[in-house]
Amino acid sequence: MSDYTQMWSDLGLDLKGHDALLSVLGGAYQDIFLSQKNRPEGMKYFDFVMSEVHGLRIKELMDAKAQGRIVVGSYCVFVPEELILAVDGVSVGLCAGAEFNFEGAEEVVPRNLCPLIKSAFGFKRGLVCPYLEASDIVVGENTCDGKKKSYEVLGPMVKDLYIMDLPQMKSGPGRALLKEEYAKFLTRLEEKSGRKVTAESLKKGIATVNAKRQAVKRLAELRKADPAPISGLDALLVNQVFFYDDPVRFTASVNTLCDELEERVKKGEGVLPKGTPRLVISGCPMAVPNWKVPFIIETSGAVIVGEESCVGERGTRWLTEAQGATLPEMLDAVTERYFNIDCAVFTPNPSRIDHVRDMFGRYGARGVIHYSLQFCQPYLVESGPVETALEGSGIPVLRLETDYSQEDMGQLKTRIEAFVERIHQG
Amino acid sequence: MSRTVEPLINDEYTGGPPTKRVLARLQEKRKEGRKVAGVYCGYAPTELILAMGISPATLCAFSNATIEAAETVLPANLCPLIKSSYGFIITDTCPFYGLADVVIGETTCDGKKKMFELITDLKPTWIMDLPQVPDQEEAITNWTAMIRKLEGFLETTFGARTTDDGIEDSIRDINRRNAMMREVFEFAALRPAIVGWREMYDLTFLAQGSSGKDMEPVLTEALRKLEERRDGGYSYGPAGAPRVMVTGCPVGGDAEKVFAIIEEAGGVIVALDACSGFKPYMTDTAEGTGDPVRALAERYLKIPCSCMTPNARRLTEMTRLIEKMRPDAVIDVVLQACHSFNIESHKVGEHVEKVHGLPFLKIVTDFSLGDVEQIRTRVEALLESC
Amino acid sequence: MRTAGLDIGSRTVKLVVIEQGETVLTRKGLTSHDPLEAARALMEGVNYDTIVATGYGRHLLKEHLDCPVISEIKAFALGAKAIYPTCRVILDIGGQDTKAISLNEAGEMSKFEMNDKCAAGTGRFLEIMAAALGYTLEEFPKAALSAGRFEKINSMCTVFAESEVISLTAKGAARPEVALGIHRAIVSRSTTLLKRIAPSGEVFFAGGVALNGCVETLIAEDLGRPVFVPPDPQMVGALGAALHALKSGGREDATP
Ligand code: SF4
Ligand code: SF4
Ligand code: SF4
Ligand code: SF4
Repeated sequence: MSDYTQMWSDLGLDLKGHDALLSVLGGAYQDIFLSQKNRPEGMKYFDFVMSEVHGLRIKELMDAKAQGRIVVGSYCVFVPEELILAVDGVSVGLCAGAEFNFEGAEEVVPRNLCPLIKSAFGFKRGLVCPYLEASDIVVGENTCDGKKKSYEVLGPMVKDLYIMDLPQMKSGPGRALLKEEYAKFLTRLEEKSGRKVTAESLKKGIATVNAKRQAVKRLAELRKADPAPISGLDALLVNQVFFYDDPVRFTASVNTLCDELEERVKKGEGVLPKGTPRLVISGCPMAVPNWKVPFIIETSGAVIVGEESCVGERGTRWLTEAQGATLPEMLDAVTERYFNIDCAVFTPNPSRIDHVRDMFGRYGARGVIHYSLQFCQPYLVESGPVETALEGSGIPVLRLETDYSQEDMGQLKTRIEAFVERIHQG
Repeated sequence: MSRTVEPLINDEYTGGPPTKRVLARLQEKRKEGRKVAGVYCGYAPTELILAMGISPATLCAFSNATIEAAETVLPANLCPLIKSSYGFIITDTCPFYGLADVVIGETTCDGKKKMFELITDLKPTWIMDLPQVPDQEEAITNWTAMIRKLEGFLETTFGARTTDDGIEDSIRDINRRNAMMREVFEFAALRPAIVGWREMYDLTFLAQGSSGKDMEPVLTEALRKLEERRDGGYSYGPAGAPRVMVTGCPVGGDAEKVFAIIEEAGGVIVALDACSGFKPYMTDTAEGTGDPVRALAERYLKIPCSCMTPNARRLTEMTRLIEKMRPDAVIDVVLQACHSFNIESHKVGEHVEKVHGLPFLKIVTDFSLGDVEQIRTRVEALLESC
Repeated sequence: MRTAGLDIGSRTVKLVVIEQGETVLTRKGLTSHDPLEAARALMEGVNYDTIVATGYGRHLLKEHLDCPVISEIKAFALGAKAIYPTCRVILDIGGQDTKAISLNEAGEMSKFEMNDKCAAGTGRFLEIMAAALGYTLEEFPKAALSAGRFEKINSMCTVFAESEVISLTAKGAARPEVALGIHRAIVSRSTTLLKRIAPSGEVFFAGGVALNGCVETLIAEDLGRPVFVPPDPQMVGALGAALHALKSGGREDATP
């Protein structure tokens, strides 16, 4: 590994804190990912990306910036990557999954907030996230109360925070608002980058992101096989890297991985024996390095075959229709695509239940684990009706609420094991 | 020193919870054949509802008793107001909900908006998509459209009708009500205070769903009594008592413990800066604009609720109120798990301390009594610093 | 065949040996700081063909003795069904966990709920509160039952509840009334879990806290449903594990 110390200190990172974070991350990665058996060869690329997630990839971002490209950081899948690519910008996800510097976070935001938000503040105030520090513009979107109000606090702490408003209902005015917001965002991107969006550049942006989505959809498709050709942990990792990596290279690497998995499926090979109980996980997004629950699941005799989450199918299942030749037409297509996203911040949000039910069937799952981050009211409240509806159609559901700490590992393990036992008997 | 004076509202409900009085009035309206719309929030356009001949009834509940029942369905980490309201509904014990023919909700906070999903099958329910960035042009347009849609919903549900002139009249009527309410608050600004929180709360609670016409006799009488108190040299509370302004989430019922603690600690509450207090009466709707619904949209979007972002108006309105009421300390009451007020408290605290140089205390609480002693210790310490 | 079940809980370790459907041996010890040692001590001189472990320390035993494990939720379901074949609703309040389990017609586990991570409303909570009031664990429920009224305890966090109890007694509240308040607080926590998964039916009440007569009475009152406490409520999990060992012959590992 090269020495990136200079780059990190140029970015203004706190080197001591950053070292501490990296060593925890490295250790966890070793224990959780590298210890898995029968891993596909194709995962080596992702291991490499993870080992260089604060190194080479940041170097690439810095190089891109040196060439006059902008880096745009965001916290939600409602921020359209197509538009960022259309100004030749680089899109990076900033969601954080580590319990790091929560004390620092709690000086400015309440303790009773979802760990995703606290982690973002912990990273910012601890100066340990090179993606955040490298971002020329950070996009905050008005989704849940926690994020919406926290951006007001984040504003003065970052270089350039851009707030994007979102509707809360899927109504006519809601769609119009979203479209208007995307148009404004595009203008902002043009100003920031000094580049004009053309029909051509947006078309290319759409194609690039669609290809990336198509690749993960292909991966998802392969997970239908029993035995599962890839662990849920590894598939989750691919979905996580989705937000950091260069899109074209990422797409190629996922496709290479899929070629290998296709072979596996043909030969009937898998990571765990055929007949291992298969689970779909549904709920809040899991950001790197939040691997706790999938790790417990896959060390408790089950395998995860799908993620109904924004780091998963909710974020990737829709493609942007490659329609229209003019900018406004394409912007319409982008709006339509994003307007589908069935995040629990919307009310009502019925298509999410249908999608979970559909995934359950499609992937031959035998149960659903509903995952809520502590204090995330949209998903916590929605978990009730989701459970009732699914159990009503005979689908076993386990509801979990947890944060990033390790304290409840034992409890979670007991519940998950019992759930697997319940599935076994059925 | 305080003497006994005649209460501002002197009826059989005086001294008891203000809900009883409001309930009795609603029941009367019901008997007259009026329909009742349950509302949950200061954003419900009272003027329109009244113009259509419908009576609004506030459904926000402040009782600890129903929370346990609510928690069999809702997550524990939710604001007690939402849990209490929902608990009343599923145990079928809320008389206001019982009276309501329809329910009107707004997408204010995550908790409420998702809770509404759980009650939509029970009664005809209409949810209004509330903009979150009030200063954008789209916000006014969208909220105008939402109010129009609400009108359509009430028309189809009840066959009720109104005209723009009818709405305009209702605007004038409510403006008059609000102006009279503000006159009452002027008396609360006097030093020494001549009115306590309970009497102000009785009025703000009663006025919420009432027309100006209904409120006029009550307010005229109250204003007369206030003048008498002032002229007679009456003072409320101990001499030299520190004046406290309470801001934040709506407070009522079991959460009134906070008010009680402040008074027991020797303070006097001079301003209730919440939707349960002064907030609904602080702004007027523009009259004679020719587009009364748009005027309503503009007025409602001026409510400085924490569900808006950035909610700069909260601070400017607070400054106005502080300058008028001249408190010696500000207490921000945040209901447990109310993310928006909780996060905003950081800014509010800085504003109060830095801009106004006043001591500030944030209290996060729920409807139980478990934290009374803790709160008391902190309130006492705050008042000692005044 | 002689099969054994070992339940390593947070406070106590329990061992049950069964032969031909009969319980032939039960033993109990404290978990202490070294659960493995505590388990070994308990198994000292006991003969069996196969053993299955359960409870919060089950994986420790799996590592060291290479025996299969099942979750305590399943163990309680199996044990309860053996003791009371028609039961459909199980409540287990142990040292640090509260679990509510519902069974389907076939007696298989259908839903379960567990308290979240704090110790609120568990055996440990009772112990701390008894100590704060100066009662032994035996005196505590009796005192509570003797009270005609109760002091409401609002906080379910162990730390806050303890200070609440102290401030109540400082204000001169009668100890038995505070004791009753604590018992009621625990009961409402547990019944909320129960109501989520099993809105009706008789409750099979197990775990260490089932020995507390006051909790039992209050649960029955609160739910308006009969409550059945087995003769040795702490042994239900270990019995379930032993039964599982019998069924699987110790070969099949439910949760590898
Ligand atoms: S869960 Fe909702 S708020 Fe979170 S990333 Fe997804 S769409 Fe955005
Ligand atoms: S997990 Fe929930 S609370 Fe957290 S950021 Fe996402 S929507 Fe908001
Ligand atoms: S505080 Fe906000 S959400 Fe609550 S009633 Fe007032 S305006 Fe509505
Ligand atoms: S107090 Fe806060 S969380 Fe509760 S209903 Fe009002 S805005 Fe929502």
